[in-house]
Amino acid sequence: METQRPLELILARNFLTNLSTPALLVDSSGGIIFYNEAAGGLLGMSFEEFGHKPAAEWTHAIGPFGENGEPVSIEELSTTKALRRGRPAHDSFTIHSVKGDEYEIESTALPIVADGGQEGAMIFLWVKNGD
Amino acid sequence: MKAKVWGARGSVPAPGPEMNRYGGNTSCVELELSDGSTLIIDAGTGIRSLGVGFAKKLPKINILLTHLHLDHIQGLMFFAPCFRSDSEITIWGPSSPEASLEERIARYISAPLSPVEVRELPCEVSFLDCPATEWELGPARIRAEAVTHRGPTLGYRITDGDTSLCYISDHEPGLGAPLETLEREWISGYDLARDADLLIHDCQYTDDEYPEHVGWGHSRLTDTLTFARRVEAKRLMLFHHDPLHSDDFLDDFFGNAVERWEELGGQRGSIEMAAERLEVQIGPRERIPAAT
Repeated sequence: METQRPLELILARNFLTNLSTPALLVDSSGGIIFYNEAAGGLLGMSFEEFGHKPAAEWTHAIGPFGENGEPVSIEELSTTKALRRGRPAHDSFTIHSVKGDEYEIESTALPIVADGGQEGAMIFLWVKNGD
Repeated sequence: MKAKVWGARGSVPAPGPEMNRYGGNTSCVELELSDGSTLIIDAGTGIRSLGVGFAKKLPKINILLTHLHLDHIQGLMFFAPCFRSDSEITIWGPSSPEASLEERIARYISAPLSPVEVRELPCEVSFLDCPATEWELGPARIRAEAVTHRGPTLGYRITDGDTSLCYISDHEPGLGAPLETLEREWISGYDLARDADLLIHDCQYTDDEYPEHVGWGHSRLTDTLTFARRVEAKRLMLFHHDPLHSDDFLDDFFGNAVERWEELGGQRGSIEMAAERLEVQIGPRERIPAAT
């Protein structure tokens, strides 16, 4: 019977849809459940093409990558650790678009916590090396 | 189940001769269940007239509140059973981490807004947060879920046997979202309203009025019709009429709604306007005209 996402995630998605700031929406397991058009521009692929992906899959595709260019496990990110404690976090790392373009990113992650517990998080991305 | 509308108006009571046919009382629907017991949904000013007609031998009364905006609770203080010592009233509503339901309602039923305090009501009254899971009241199974509106707001699905009513009086499912194409998992109220025999839904604005009211928590006609089609409701009742919309305006509004509904594939005769004293049989199709 349960088809619908929690209302908090619905409202978050509607909010992110209307922003020009690249942003992702992840669920409580860290899987990407949505990203907006601006993020699609950065990643080189719309969310409709990218599709829902668990954390392990999307990190392999787009990052994050550390200073040495090696993939960084999502578990090692300070953002992940903070979100799991229901805390916001700011981070820096590199991501790749599907076309191979590299971006140095600052990210701000905000947990979405409702009555039933943490539903997910919004992750905003800012490109460091130019507009 | 049988539903009777005691108040179909939204935002603020709107009396006046130009409002007589659809009525000026704010949201209140009485639901008669299969065993003859009654549920009341919302306590706008329409509940006052409902209370006047209640039998002297009162059953236990359950009132389901969608939210605590004044147009949905204003009638509580004028609901006759509240002033009878032999009545037992349970008021259900959305939970809040800030204060209990009683404390939040008491902000209205207390000085300086009211000459009466909640604790002074002669009836036996209890205030309960709606459970997160389905619960039973008499023969009905009730499900309450948060929907897109300003402030914590619930929609209700009431199922009695194999008949279901979904009541979402204040709802803006199309806020920032293209309802026609959105995946159903992302539609506020979808699970609650899916396949309902009767969907009573917010339809406060025309499409032309909506741009000046985006984010106010209410639906334009297009979004109400689209929502109803997306959830495949069998019947749709347009509710929460704007206080500025006269009877003549609503007649035209409905005419437009019927055309658009059928264009969207809605069945002829399966859409109607809420009007005070309108009674509707839910399940086997039988519409009881409003008393004049």
